[in-house]
Order: sequence, then structure tokens, then C-alpha cells
Amino acid sequence: MSAAHFLSRAGWQVTVFDSGVVASGATGSADGAVSVASKKPGPLMTLAVAAVRFYERLAETGVLADEFMSRSTFMVAAQPDELDVLESQSAQLEAADVPVRLLKGRALAETVGAAAPAALAAVEVQGEGHAVGYRVVERLRRLGGFTIRRNCRILGLHHAGGRVDGVVTEQGIESFDAVLLAAGLGSMAFLAGPDLIRPRKGQLIVTDRADRDAPRFPGPLMSCRYLVSKGSHPAGNVTEARSLGLVIDPLRTGQFLIGGSREDRDDKDVADADVIASLLRDAVALSPSLAHLRVIRVFAGVRAATRDGMPIVGRVGGADNVWVATGFEGDGICLGPLMGHLCQQMICGQQPEHDISALDAGRFGLTLAEAA
Amino acid sequence: MTGMEVLVIGGGPAGVSAALEMARGGLNVTLCEQGPRLGGAIHRQPDDPARRLRVPRAQRRRWRTLAEALSMSPVEILCRHMFAGVEGSGAVLLEDRASGRIVTRRPAALVLALGGVERVTPVPGWQLPGVVTVGGLQVMMKSTGRAPEGDILIAGSGPLLLAVAAQLTALGKAPVAVLERSTGPLSLRAVAGLIRAPAYLWEAAGYLSRLIRAGIRLQRGASVRSIAPAGNRLSVTIVDNIGLERRLVVDRVALHDGLLPNGNGTAAAPAGPFTVLAGDCREVLGGVAAIADGRLAGQAVLAKLGLAGSDSAGSAATLQHERRTQSALNTLFDYSGGDAAQLPDDTVICRCEGRTLGQLRALLAADDRVSAREIKLNGRFAMGACQGRFCAEWVAAYVASQRDGQPPQVAEIVGSRWPVKPVSVSAFVERHPSSPSE
Repeated sequence: MSAAHFLSRAGWQVTVFDSGVVASGATGSADGAVSVASKKPGPLMTLAVAAVRFYERLAETGVLADEFMSRSTFMVAAQPDELDVLESQSAQLEAADVPVRLLKGRALAETVGAAAPAALAAVEVQGEGHAVGYRVVERLRRLGGFTIRRNCRILGLHHAGGRVDGVVTEQGIESFDAVLLAAGLGSMAFLAGPDLIRPRKGQLIVTDRADRDAPRFPGPLMSCRYLVSKGSHPAGNVTEARSLGLVIDPLRTGQFLIGGSREDRDDKDVADADVIASLLRDAVALSPSLAHLRVIRVFAGVRAATRDGMPIVGRVGGADNVWVATGFEGDGICLGPLMGHLCQQMICGQQPEHDISALDAGRFGLTLAEAA
Repeated sequence: MTGMEVLVIGGGPAGVSAALEMARGGLNVTLCEQGPRLGGAIHRQPDDPARRLRVPRAQRRRWRTLAEALSMSPVEILCRHMFAGVEGSGAVLLEDRASGRIVTRRPAALVLALGGVERVTPVPGWQLPGVVTVGGLQVMMKSTGRAPEGDILIAGSGPLLLAVAAQLTALGKAPVAVLERSTGPLSLRAVAGLIRAPAYLWEAAGYLSRLIRAGIRLQRGASVRSIAPAGNRLSVTIVDNIGLERRLVVDRVALHDGLLPNGNGTAAAPAGPFTVLAGDCREVLGGVAAIADGRLAGQAVLAKLGLAGSDSAGSAATLQHERRTQSALNTLFDYSGGDAAQLPDDTVICRCEGRTLGQLRALLAADDRVSAREIKLNGRFAMGACQGRFCAEWVAAYVASQRDGQPPQVAEIVGSRWPVKPVSVSAFVERHPSSPSE
């Protein structure tokens, strides 16, 4: 939707095809973290910093007015073995010019002490934010300028004269000058390359609102175990099929969002009591005040995870007018608007504003599938 | 006994009847009720046995028969156990409200007898404290044996208005007015339908005579247009059948626009047990039908598990008879509510999250046809604690009315997620990590 927005502003006539409805994938089931704190050090962390700045720009210029909330993220170590993870991630963030503040002793007690009395240390990662994925999409939809075709599956790409000149839907062939594949896991239907992207399910919990006299949360609390679970940290070469990482996010509504799991499964319509109970146990261990709340909703989503944990953004080999932007795993809400903008620049034949060569489709030798 | 375990959710007539049928067929039956006692909404038992609301004799007798049979059966009864849904791996989750824990069961079959939900169509001010549902008021009176304090106005449509007005009167708290929206005449079809169901006529006559004796008049064609705070009281604007407005200041307003099957928690769970719906949560046909329908549900489970049940012909005939009676009865009432086009933008639609009709209209304003899921996520309808139990049906109908009758499905707005009702965080924390089936 972001690419559609920027392409339409660049003068293109744009149609968004969705095999379901908009925001029905991970966008509609995400935690909304626009955060650098948990990113893997290296190009992804650098791009995340740019992505947060881009959100700020969109908020200032009115495109995402009221949809982006600036705030700090608090990485919390509650066990002695998590202190190393905290220290190392904090150093990496600092190296990427992200403002961080180490909280210990009195500063710790004053900041996160009420919310997480068992915290041994914390790092405040400043200049982060929150945006609800489906609300961003809704905002872009309302700004308009492009057509949305819901429940319209693309059966394949149409070739003529050695190039792609349109898409094939159940209603027939429609001509286009350029195609961007941004269909998450579904993008692979058009690309050659086995098992490049796998589904990674996540389960999340929403509680009801806390009382006024409940302990104050300064911002989202991210357990250092989350970094291990995500594989962002070297200590966390996650090989198990399921891992749980804990983020406790105080929402603007006064509710809490608690997540999340990473599971090598794709059954996005169901949530398991075992996973939910484990997450809640961890959450209450860190923030005992949560025990007084009620769970009003649990839900699951499926992320598109690549083999090397990095998104795939760029031109598809073997076609000069087909681009791809997928494999964001859990970082799509953070990176989405910026990546849409960069895709627009590439499609317009411009040099993208940020270096995304590390995300190039070429690293997997990605080409169009024959059937496409 | 076959040793096979089955679970029944809901301690009303449908649930009890299903439990009895399956126990007779040789199954190990557990009957779960979220409240402190069995009975459901219709046979709600009093907190204090000495303070009991008078109910029609036939109704009392029906429950006594069921309760006696249950007391002699081997059915295990779990009160204060709330059905939280069927989770991803197929286990049935119950919240034990006494111990504050989640209880997990893996039954061979599940009967859901969740009853009906009361429908109330939005009017400005219906979210104010002091506005209740007529059914909620009745359940409260059945539990406490008392009428609430203050002046009460009853409005909407349906036979329940009459019943509750009469019960309030019997407790010495006659309502200040009873407004029945319908102006529909008593048609031949209705008479023919009702004459075959003398119990209903007898019940209605009893209520009416009590109201007449107390000098209470049922105003047909009148409805509530809006409710506004007036100090500690409520100022209600009433419109009659020729469009004249008047105001009435009262302490409580009880609204009711019919009953709907309670669909929350009834969506099929992919890995869940064989599941059958029974009673009003399948089709709103009332207490007599619920007993027959519970028996049929029990028979369906027995058949599925390869066991013999009793003959189903009698129950099927009862159901058919009650269906005809209800459809005749429904012609006398008007459950449509007010004209949605006339409602102001600030009318609250979702009372959990305070979402308004204006916000729904804005979502639908563009040419682009937003989906049910977008209405839910961005409109936040059905995102509150009640999971859409009270707004999803109205929202779906409103969207349909704006779009040449093409409705989103209520289920698309409600979704199929557990918990069906909010469950305390601590209940999960207390749960053993991988609690085996119990």
C-alpha cells in the first residue's frame, strides 16, 4: 500500500491486487512496533533507523498524521544471564547512532521499577515509535489515488515479447508497465527458488484496560529473552521450532499487547492455550501488576521469514520490470513505509535514497518462476 | 458406561436435557454452567430460596422435572465454570471462577447450549448508566427476588416486555410506562398459530390481567427516540405512532428488541471435538423447544459415537410445533428498531469501546467497498470485551442497508477467536505449563 501511495504520487496509475482483503496478512495481526531496538545489527539495523525517521517525516507531513507515536522502548534484563545480551545489543545500537540510556540503580527504579520490579537493568532506546499496521494501511487507503481490487487473485504474470506486460486474474489479462510483488509468503508463487521463505507464526494477547492506580509503564518493555528468541542476538541462534520472546506494550487505548511467539507453522487462524499461558506467565513474572487484568483477545499471524533473516527487496532477475518486496518477517510494520518509498524510486528508475543492496533478490539468485 | 467423556456447556433447559440424554446413552457427561446455579436465563434460580420471583406454573414444573432427573443421573455438574472457547490444539478451555484457574478438557464431543442473546437496537443515550435490557432486568429479579429501586420505563418489542412489566408489578414496582413499538394487528395467521399453543395465551393473559388490575397500559406504536442524562435520572424522549414526541423522566430504562442465537464461541474450531449446538444458541424457539432440542443434540452425539439413543420423532415434532408458534408470535412484534438513517452520527453503536455511527458511516463513505475485516479493525466494532455480541449483528445489517442488501457476515465481524469472554490473566498463570487432559 505504501508503494501504491508513492507510485500514485509519482504519476503512475496504480492497482493493488489482494487475494483477500487489505491488511489481512501479518499487517492485521502485528504488534505495531516501529522499533530499532530488536533489530539485527548490520544493514537491517541501519535501515530500521532510517525507517523510523521516515515514519517521523510522514507524520510531520500529514501522510501518517496521528498514526505514528514517538516513544522509547525499554529493553529489560531480569535474569543475570540476560545482562550480557542487554549490554551487547545496547553497544550495537549505540554504534548505529541510536540514542540509548543505560538504566541501573535509582534511574532503573524510577523508570521501570513500578512496571517491572524484578528488572536488574534496562536500556532505554530513544526515538522509537508505534504505528498500528492496519491503521497505516487504512490511512493510505483513505488518501487514495489508486485502485484496490480485493479478493482478486493473481494467477500469473503475462509475458509478451520477452517481457512481462501484465497480470492474469480470474477476470482476464490486465496490462501493466511494471509489477511489484509484495504479497508476503504469497510472493513466492511467482518466483523460482525452493523454501526461500518460510512461515513463522506469532501469537499475541490483548488485555483489557488497567485501573488508574495500576503501575505506570514508561513504554514497551522488551525482555532480553525476546532478542534471543528473534535471533537478533548471536547468543540466539534459534534452531528450535518454537521460541517465545516477551514484549509488554502499553497501548494508547490503555490496554496491553503481550507477545509473542515465533513458531515454524502457518496455521494463522488458531492460538494455542499452551503458548498463550507461557507468554502470560513470563509477562507476569516481569510485571506482576498484569495479573489483575483480563485477556480479551488472543490472535495469531504469520510472518514471512527468509533463510538469512533479511528481507528481499529489489528487481527480480530475468525481468526488467518486475520488483519484489517481501520476507520482512517481524519487521514489516517498521520497514514497510520506507520500503514502499524505495520501491517507488527504483520503479521510477531513480537511485534509492538508502542503500538496500544487502536486500537484493540477487543474493538468492531469485528469478521469475516459469509458470509465472 | 463406555468411558467416553462428553462436555455440555450451558446449564439451561437445552444443556440439562442434552446431558440427561447422553448420560442415559452411557456416556460420561460433564455439565458446565458459568453461574452459581443451573437454570439458564429462563429458569434462573434465586440466590435466596426464600425470595423467589413468581413464574408461570408450567415453566416451574418443566424445570422441576429436569432438575429431579438430573439429581438422579450420574452427570457431573461444574457450576462457576465459564466456557472460554476451543483453543488451537482442540482442547476445550473453561475458567473455574472459584479457583481462578483455567481447566482444560478434551472431550469426545461437545454440546454447546449457550442460549440466546438479547437484541437491543441503538438509540442515542442507550449507553448511559441506568439503561439496561429487559431480559437482564428479569434475570436480576429472578436472582434476587426483588425489583430495582426507582421509576422504570420498559420499551422495545416482544412478549418479554409484557412478562417483565407484570413481574415488576407483582413485586410492587409497576413500570411507569410500557412501550411496544409494533402496531401490527393480530392477524388470522397469528391467531391460528397461537391457538395451538394455549400455554402461551394463558401466560399472556395472566400478565395482561395483572397489568390491567394495576392500571398499566401497554402503548402500542410508541418507542424511545433518545435518552439523555437529567441529573441523577434519565430524560427519555418518546415518540408515538403518529409522530408526537413527549418526555418522561425516570431512573431506569429497560430496552428489548427480541432475541438472537448466541453465536459467540460457536464457530467451528478446526482441531476441536465433534460439536453440536442445542437450544436457543442454534435457533431461538424458547424453553419448551430447548428441552426437545437438547435431547436431539444428545442423540446426535450418541449416534456419532456409535451409541443408541431414544427415539427422536417426538422431539422433532415438538420442535416443529414450537417453530410454528414462534413464527406466529413474531408477526405480532416489530424487532426492526428505529430507522437507522434518522440516527445522529454521535449515536454509540459499540458500547464496549464507545464507537459511534458517525465512525461507521465514515468508513463506508468512499466508493471503495471496505471488507468486514476492515470494518472490524479500523472501526473497532466487535473489538471490545463483548467480542461483538451486542453490536456485530446491527453493524452487519446497517452495512447491508447501505449496500443494496449485500451483507458482510456477522461471523466475519465477530471472528472465531477465543476467549469467548474475557478470562483473567492470572487464570492462565495458574495453569500448569502443559496440563494434560483432565
